Amino acid sequence: MVKLLQQIITGISIGGIYALLAVGYALIFSIFQFTNFAFGGILMGSAFAGYFATTTLGMDAIPATFVAVCAGVILSILVELTAYRPLRKRSSSRLFLMISAMGVNILLVNLATVTFGGNIRSLPADMRMDAIKLGSVQMGVLDLIALIGSAVILIALWGYLYKSRQGIAIRAVANDTNTARLMGINVNKVSLTVFVISGILTGMAGMFFGLKYTVYPTMGIISNKAFIASVIGGLGSLPGAVLGGLILGVLETLIAGFVSSVYRDLFSFGIMIIVLMFMPNGLLGKSNDKL
Amino acid sequence: MGYALTVIVFICVNIVAATGLSLLTGFTGLFSLGHAGFMAIGGYTSAIMAMHLGIPYVPAVILGGAAAVIISVVIGYPSIKNRLRGDYFAICMLGFVEIVRLVISNITHPWVNGSLGLTGIPKLTNVWTALIICIIMVFFMRNFIKSHYGQNCKAIQQQDVAAEMMGISIVKTRLISLMISAFYCGVAGSVMTFYTAFISPLSFQAPQSQNLVADVVIGGVNSITGPIIAAAILTALPEMLRFLISWRYVIYGLLLVVLIIFRPEGIMGYKEFSIGGFIGFFKKTYRVAVRLFKKLFGKNSKTADKKGGKV
Repeated sequence: MVKLLQQIITGISIGGIYALLAVGYALIFSIFQFTNFAFGGILMGSAFAGYFATTTLGMDAIPATFVAVCAGVILSILVELTAYRPLRKRSSSRLFLMISAMGVNILLVNLATVTFGGNIRSLPADMRMDAIKLGSVQMGVLDLIALIGSAVILIALWGYLYKSRQGIAIRAVANDTNTARLMGINVNKVSLTVFVISGILTGMAGMFFGLKYTVYPTMGIISNKAFIASVIGGLGSLPGAVLGGLILGVLETLIAGFVSSVYRDLFSFGIMIIVLMFMPNGLLGKSNDKL
Repeated sequence: MGYALTVIVFICVNIVAATGLSLLTGFTGLFSLGHAGFMAIGGYTSAIMAMHLGIPYVPAVILGGAAAVIISVVIGYPSIKNRLRGDYFAICMLGFVEIVRLVISNITHPWVNGSLGLTGIPKLTNVWTALIICIIMVFFMRNFIKSHYGQNCKAIQQQDVAAEMMGISIVKTRLISLMISAFYCGVAGSVMTFYTAFISPLSFQAPQSQNLVADVVIGGVNSITGPIIAAAILTALPEMLRFLISWRYVIYGLLLVVLIIFRPEGIMGYKEFSIGGFIGFFKKTYRVAVRLFKKLFGKNSKTADKKGGKV
């Protein structure tokens, strides 16, 4: 019983990070309807920024997170301006956007391998901090911070999207890009905003992953979990992405804790395929209703 | 010389796989990110057949393709029947390739040997068999595209609702094209395995599938010759860039982005490569060049005259 509770708590804290990533992914999907494969590269880039901020510049965790977020935003904007916008200007097929994203990912991963080397690095041990005891269950301070940080960011994002003028513009573009453009919304500005938000989320997630696990050039593979989470929640749906991330995190830790950690990834991909086949719109996605 | 032959064999393998995927992605319009999974299934099946059951080369290769077809029906029928398309189908196939890789890594039976992979597979493929198989497969694909079924595939890619109204069964046609593309990838995987004499789950990770998609999209959807040319170039490119050592994949990624931005319809677009077209292209460029040369020459002579006159 204690073990079950422990696993669920760990799962929720991992699920919070998955939710961050999945929301960044779902936001772009809901507007442009394409899978941003460059996501993994941006995640890796911001984790490396956080790593160098702590080791080379000797920063604390919080300023380092800020550096990682900045790196995520800069990379995200660069990718949008160089690889996606020229394609969208010509309104070419989404297939080409996907290929372009794949090219960017190959570029970023190999650039990191060439410049930083393929070694696995870990952030300084004192940043992982201790665990707090809550009765018989314990929770890492890092997990708690990651969970609270994710929750704060997601609530702020919700407020921005649903309560501010720019948020309404973003939702309008997601609903129907052409009509929104006719209504006088600057679609290019909106898309830049969306990529900035996605960069912030990815940067946070990259820093948390770097703190919790390790930093290495191909760590972007973790972003596959974001695809899975947003498929479970419904592609393009933001509440669905949060829910999917939490469900995936909890299920994964339960499988790893009670069955075997070898089958963890097998299980998550399996659940994704089953959801896709029998509930293609996921838990919260509706076929024509986005965000 | 051996090195060049190896590159040629890999080009043949990638041409076979890219031709298969071009039927699914280019002609039928289903985007797949998991065709390396079919290559893995084909490779493992034919390797086990040849090593433990003593089956000769050609039947082993065909059985490798057949195994990929069976798995493609298992994964493809429910997803196609539920009308998964676009990114949904692509992500479904991405999950499929990861599952294949993880399942193979966790089977510790000595015939499969888990994540360590199989060694000591008989080296049955040589350059000539690879070339012959490649030519035969491409020829069959050309005939298939020209046939009634191939035209159905194109109709579905262009306008699926209209195609269904005309009495084309979408599920059936999509499933057939998935099965054929799986067969092509299975054969490609088998041929490759019999050449490298080694197979491990690590050879079939996501980048392998992405390279296949890149072949098809860069070559041009709705063209067979385009993906063939693209497969040849993109297989040879990292080898040609080898002097750059570790920078070559950085440049490869960069070239992919630049190519897709500046020539989004692919190398061939909707056209096919043909000898007549090739000669026509040269005639055209020759004519343009002659005209350009005359213009330049004429201008030069005029300016020279003017200068001469002034002096």
